[in-house]
Amino acid sequence: MKTKDLQLGWHTLLAVIVFLMLIPIVFAISNSFKTLQDAYNTVFQVIPLSPTVQNYIHVFQKLPFVRITINTFLIAATVTLFKTLTSVFAAYSFVYFDFKGKGILYFVMLSTMFIPFTVTMIPNYLMISKIGLRDNIWGVALPQLADVLGIFLLRQSMRGIPKALIEAARLDNIKHLKIMRDIIIPLVRPSIISTGIIFFINSWNEYVWPVLILKSKENYTLSLALQMYISAEGGTEFTIAMAVSVMTMIIPLVLYIIFQRYIINTFAMSGIKG
Amino acid sequence: MNFEDKKQSILGYAFLLPSLLVFAVFMFYPLFYTFYLSFFDWNMVKPVKEFVGLANYIAVLKDPVTWKIFGNTVLYLVILLGFNFVMPYILSFILSNIIKKGQGFYKAVFFLPSVISLVVGSILYIWILNPISGPVAIIAKFLGLSIPFWSKTEGWVIAVLCIITTWKTFGYNFIIILAGVSGVSTEVIEAARLDNVPMWKIFKDIVVPMSSATGIYVFITTIVQGLQYVFTPIKVVTQGGPNYASSNMIYMSYHEAFTLYRTGTSAAVSVMTMLLFIILLILEFKFVEKGVYYEN
Amino acid sequence: MKNIVFENVVKAYDKNVIVKNLNMEIKEGERLILLGPSGCGKSTTLRMIAGFEKLTSGKLHMNGKVVNDVPCGDRGVSMVFQNYALFPHMTVRDNIIYGLKAHKMNSKEIEVRLEEVLAMLELKGLEDRKPKDLSGGQRQRVALARAVVKRSDYFLLDEPLSNLDAQLRLRARKELVKIHEIYNQTLVYVTHDQIEAMTVGQRVAIMYKGKMEMLDVPSNVYNRPASIFCARFIGSPSMNIVDVDYNAGVLKLGNQEIQLPDMWNKIVNKHGKDKLCIGVRPEHVVLSREKQAHSIEGLVKYVEDYGNNYGVYVQVRGDKNELIAIAGENIPAQGETVYINVGFDKIHLFDRETEKSLGYPVELYNVKAELPDNFASE
Repeated sequence: MKTKDLQLGWHTLLAVIVFLMLIPIVFAISNSFKTLQDAYNTVFQVIPLSPTVQNYIHVFQKLPFVRITINTFLIAATVTLFKTLTSVFAAYSFVYFDFKGKGILYFVMLSTMFIPFTVTMIPNYLMISKIGLRDNIWGVALPQLADVLGIFLLRQSMRGIPKALIEAARLDNIKHLKIMRDIIIPLVRPSIISTGIIFFINSWNEYVWPVLILKSKENYTLSLALQMYISAEGGTEFTIAMAVSVMTMIIPLVLYIIFQRYIINTFAMSGIKG
Repeated sequence: MNFEDKKQSILGYAFLLPSLLVFAVFMFYPLFYTFYLSFFDWNMVKPVKEFVGLANYIAVLKDPVTWKIFGNTVLYLVILLGFNFVMPYILSFILSNIIKKGQGFYKAVFFLPSVISLVVGSILYIWILNPISGPVAIIAKFLGLSIPFWSKTEGWVIAVLCIITTWKTFGYNFIIILAGVSGVSTEVIEAARLDNVPMWKIFKDIVVPMSSATGIYVFITTIVQGLQYVFTPIKVVTQGGPNYASSNMIYMSYHEAFTLYRTGTSAAVSVMTMLLFIILLILEFKFVEKGVYYEN
Repeated sequence: MKNIVFENVVKAYDKNVIVKNLNMEIKEGERLILLGPSGCGKSTTLRMIAGFEKLTSGKLHMNGKVVNDVPCGDRGVSMVFQNYALFPHMTVRDNIIYGLKAHKMNSKEIEVRLEEVLAMLELKGLEDRKPKDLSGGQRQRVALARAVVKRSDYFLLDEPLSNLDAQLRLRARKELVKIHEIYNQTLVYVTHDQIEAMTVGQRVAIMYKGKMEMLDVPSNVYNRPASIFCARFIGSPSMNIVDVDYNAGVLKLGNQEIQLPDMWNKIVNKHGKDKLCIGVRPEHVVLSREKQAHSIEGLVKYVEDYGNNYGVYVQVRGDKNELIAIAGENIPAQGETVYINVGFDKIHLFDRETEKSLGYPVELYNVKAELPDNFASE
């Protein structure tokens, strides 16, 4: 009896957390289709009484919104492509080659996880300014072409491949690049896809570094565009902010829903160190 | 070294080179340069950097605002650890040993906000928690309560910024801890249950020690990443205000460098932040050395 | 000469010596088995031949050349791995011909060879399946096919049958021997299973703690074990080994004595030590209710039923040692006094200190050494 009540209590708690996790998203979508007046007067009306796309139209009229979306996409795609490539190569090196200083190099790379971004922001800002990439989307992408998390996760999943597979190929005198292409990459594809998606989503959502580098509106990314509509008091443009929010989160959400299983499995691995 | 060994080494380094190059140029060089800057008075544009020795560090440590911010940082850490470390730990235990159903569903839902921008999260919560017109305020009013003007209230402002950050990072930590907790052998737990050991004791005496490798990892990443994640809500919601009440060491570095253009103090604060992280890293290794239980 | 010669080969990881000063020649075209318990260094030895492990010291010759620094792909070696190491994302066909294609062999030749191995290993019709859709036996045959299709000079197998059930194992053993008789590669086969070793091997090398204990044909491995370890490792239940003291033609076992015949006295006297061990296989111990010449008295402690025969545990009177005898009929009961009889052509003597065999009387070499009929059926 008592355990049953307790079970019910836990179920309720979990349900509340699920609600808290999802409700902001529901509100965002709902409000983005409301007029400002409705948003204030019918707060709990999830399906708008008089739905409007005015907020979205406003965004496209007042901002170079297509350009901003393309900017965000270009940065995210470039960063994802390079991070994935560099991570695959580095992980392969750590798993399948023997060379001096391998342990130390791995340790050094892992330790970059503990470097707060404030330590690198001034010099990187100066460097990017010096080579003329300030207020340029490539200046946002350039410092982020490698990623220790990707190396870590891909190394983890490459280590899960039996070494005998590589030995079997080495007996046939097959070169490492070919082994990587024919055997390793197909076998760790789920991990590559999920780290790639995470790279893409993180870059898509990135705020701190772009806010330092990008100055003019036509070079903005979505997060920066959104920031313009924020004021702690709510403000008169908040339904527009909701429309921008929805458009900012739609791509990550779609990617997540499609690849959810891969992503969660890959991240579950990341705590188990080796 | 024969030819084959050499080939291995060369290929090994070659495959690492692209990553190493990026880290060297955009991580390690800046690290040293920031350290260097912390001994100079500069504003990013003056042609000459003036060497001031430890003056920046002394100025930072003498400033009462620093100590307020340091206190804030500790408060941030305590709240973030409660929300993002203790809570997911307990929930993981409940899900893997008491309820045992719907793990896939909960993982999927809890992780979902992790893919949404913190700027989006911030703007959503500004509205939800708006003390006058937000849904929470309306419900509170209905119940005869009122919610504080949190963005202007010391203490509350930090709690709310932590809630925003938690919304995003909770699921990530939950998934990792759940993997660790599920890795604890069910036989051990069943053996304890046969002896009628209460659940909270099983959690404390068996599950936590046996999943401690994962636990420590999440503990440390929560501190290191959490302080940085919370930067975004600080920046977009309060800019550290009111009166530095929501600033932390990360925000302080940013503020010094890009609002006040004092690279020296900013660099000094950054170096101190990193020292804090390094101490934590050393502590972790000490723990590992002491024989933390490692699930394979 | 497609042979393999180990010359003073040592393999160590830091201070941990896996293979200690190994000397042996594997002859061209023979089937040699590396047999031993896990951790004895047999797999490491095989992997040194493949080129996966570097020698710490010594020389490895293949085909008359020192190959210490020759990378694994250039040694003309094919291998069957313990867990088969099939590429899980490739079909059976692609698994088999991946190596050939990588070397740009012309596609007609590839097709001919593929058809040949598919037919030989009864894999026809499975070409387009992935490994996960195959049974254990089929996977094992694909692994074999992938190794055979290369037609290399050296054929290495690392516990290739250990994942198969008993029936499939029998079939696979025959298949292996058949394949070897077609291609006649120099075949080195690692196993911990003595029956596999005896049935597949033309010669068997027994390894223990990184050392080679003996290298000989199967019948000698059974009948003339070179050391106590070899004697115990081969045969089941394992050989009875008992401490005995030798004194002027007499072996003292507890408070009983056995008069040794001259042919053994010569051996023992030549050896010159008196602290020995005597070994007798359980299947060579004959129990009787009446005392016979050279009998030893004992007490039946326990009887085990093996189904087709019995294991009788007998404690030697006046001694702490227990012997096992295999008996088919006329089984004594627990607590009964019995007499233990062993033919002098069935005993083995070892030095107690070095644990090496003292050797065998020349008279016994005239008797044709053979494995017992039922050996392989266990």
